[in-house]
Amino acid sequence: MSTAEFEQSVVALEQEFSVPAQQGPVELEARDLSVWFNSRKVLEGVNLAFPKNTVTALIGPSGCGKSTFIRTLNRLHELLPGAALAGEVLYEGEDIYGPTKDPVHIRLSIGMVFQKPNPFPSMTIRGNVLSGLKLSGMKRSNHDEIVEQTLISAGLWNEVKDRLGHAAGELSGGQQQRLVIARALAVQPHVLLMDEPCSALDPASTLKIEETIRELSKDITIVIVTHNMQQAVRVADYTAFFLAAENEPGRVIEQGRTTEIFGNPQDQRTLDYVNGRFG
Amino acid sequence: MTTTFDPASLPSLEQQTKTRPWRQRTTKFDVSVAIAVAVPMMIVIGMFLFSDIPGALVLVIYLPLQMFASGCAAVATKGKRGILDSVIIVNAVGASIFTFVIIFSVLWSLVSKGLKALSIPFLTQNSTYISPSTPLEYGGMAHAALGTLIVVAISALIAVPIGIATAIYITEVRGKAVPYVRFFVQSMSGVPSVVAGLFILTTLILTGAINTSAFAGGLAYAVLMLPTVARTAEEVLRLVPDDLRTGALALGSTRARTVLQVVLPAAKTGIVTAIILGIARVIGETAPLLMTSGKNDATVANPFSDPISTLPVSIFENVAQPYPDAVTRAWGAALILMVLVAILFTVARLLGRNKIK
Ligand SMILES: Nc1ncnc2c1ncn2[C@@H]1O[C@H](COP(=O)(O)OP(=O)(O)OP(=O)(O)O)[C@@H](O)[C@H]1O
Ligand SMILES: [Mg+2]
Repeated sequence: MSTAEFEQSVVALEQEFSVPAQQGPVELEARDLSVWFNSRKVLEGVNLAFPKNTVTALIGPSGCGKSTFIRTLNRLHELLPGAALAGEVLYEGEDIYGPTKDPVHIRLSIGMVFQKPNPFPSMTIRGNVLSGLKLSGMKRSNHDEIVEQTLISAGLWNEVKDRLGHAAGELSGGQQQRLVIARALAVQPHVLLMDEPCSALDPASTLKIEETIRELSKDITIVIVTHNMQQAVRVADYTAFFLAAENEPGRVIEQGRTTEIFGNPQDQRTLDYVNGRFG
Repeated sequence: MTTTFDPASLPSLEQQTKTRPWRQRTTKFDVSVAIAVAVPMMIVIGMFLFSDIPGALVLVIYLPLQMFASGCAAVATKGKRGILDSVIIVNAVGASIFTFVIIFSVLWSLVSKGLKALSIPFLTQNSTYISPSTPLEYGGMAHAALGTLIVVAISALIAVPIGIATAIYITEVRGKAVPYVRFFVQSMSGVPSVVAGLFILTTLILTGAINTSAFAGGLAYAVLMLPTVARTAEEVLRLVPDDLRTGALALGSTRARTVLQVVLPAAKTGIVTAIILGIARVIGETAPLLMTSGKNDATVANPFSDPISTLPVSIFENVAQPYPDAVTRAWGAALILMVLVAILFTVARLLGRNKIK
């Protein structure tokens, strides 16, 4: 793909998706969420709602707590030593940290793609895609179809369709990332959390993933952390700007429709950040 | 319109207390676990007391019973998903208790019998002028403890550097001879300890090259220790991610510096484990020392000149005597050996601890 073509498709995408989806019922919501590592508070008073079937981008400088926040949304935060929190995370109206909630169930409905690709090295490409079904004990008969569909969604099908039985480790970094996206999709989550999923990808794969995100958002709710402002503009209906002042916990400085955050921010710091003036 | 952060909410946020909801358990969970533990226990105790079923059989029944009870508790609290968890937990806890009981009974007999021999003279004197029938108040094992320390130190000085170097050759240098080296190391780990002693005896002692001494014992021990250290260190170095090596090389580091300053420090705790396993492999071995370092009732400090007593050899000698006091002495020596091992390993762990938390 030439640069000109690339830019054209970017423009096309931006036009196609610049109208935010209608605000539906809220699927996932953080209320007064504060997060600690040991005695250090890294996030404070985060109030963010993710409407059903929308894409929300989390932006902000490095170290302001975006990854930490996204990990509290599907109870991965608690696996780290010293982790603690206050506040609530409501999924379909119920606190996922409630006493009767099973983290396994939560993570099954709220999937996640990480910053670094982490395919299981002992499994084949196909095995990786299906691993979620196996690990969660889901019974599905149409394995071939699932493998093909999810790999197509993740934009990897053409590159691997002839070597599904090969080790996942032989894929390039970007291919591995698309593989783990396919793997996350195979269990059909209701919410997909993505922590800088494109940071290891080339522009073409990035575009492919962004298309996938838009396509998926017809059926599922997506929260994506990104350092790429254009990406936020291209894919996200809503955007939240995180910032941590020196020696203070991270906070959501401003949130709203992506067009507003980028076109008409209320806070000076947001304006500076989205225009690349700091961070 | 966008929403911005409201500083007015800060005071109320200050009030928030941090929680760890994932650690809280519901009453239902606690009650289920309590029932799942108590009921099988009561059934088993009942069978012990009120039935003719042999005790051993009752114990065999207990594990499946406990698994069933825990499975029920799991279904009650977590649904079908919890069954596998509960089976694994029951088996893991059961196996650990089993192991613990065995270890504890060994330790208990060692401590209860060994303590009878323990006294200040026993820890500070040697066995000169002591015969098997001499009462316990006289003589001690200090010379044998010193002997063991010297022999182990000599073997570690020889085997640890060579073992680690072998591991580095296999994992870092990756030279042409790797398959052969690995094959030899593997074969060496199959050498019976008696053979290691015989080897030193026939090639070095009987030819007159060295005396029956701590050094000879150390050489025999080194033959045994080397493959363990090399194999374990190899496995540990293999676990160091290649990214670290490439990372260091990309900074312009030489291969030697990469190994010394990046790879080995990254594997530090594992290398310490390799050394500990190596020492553990040899420290109780008796047969090779009978042939190489022999015995000596007096205290010997020169590792090259004379035969020297060691704890395993002293245990071996005393335990076979028809006098109760000699047997008690053997237990005392065994207790000292165990405490020595515990101290050595603790020190090694402390030295091998990661400085950066
Ligand atoms: N496991 C941990 N233990 C202690 N502190 C941690 C841990 N993980 C993250 N932190 C701290 O929490 C803060 C937020 O980190 P986080 O990884 O969430 O940032 P981020 O916004 O995702 O940054 P980036 O954009 O670079 O990925 C940082 O100051 C970091 O030092
Ligand atoms: Mg991050």
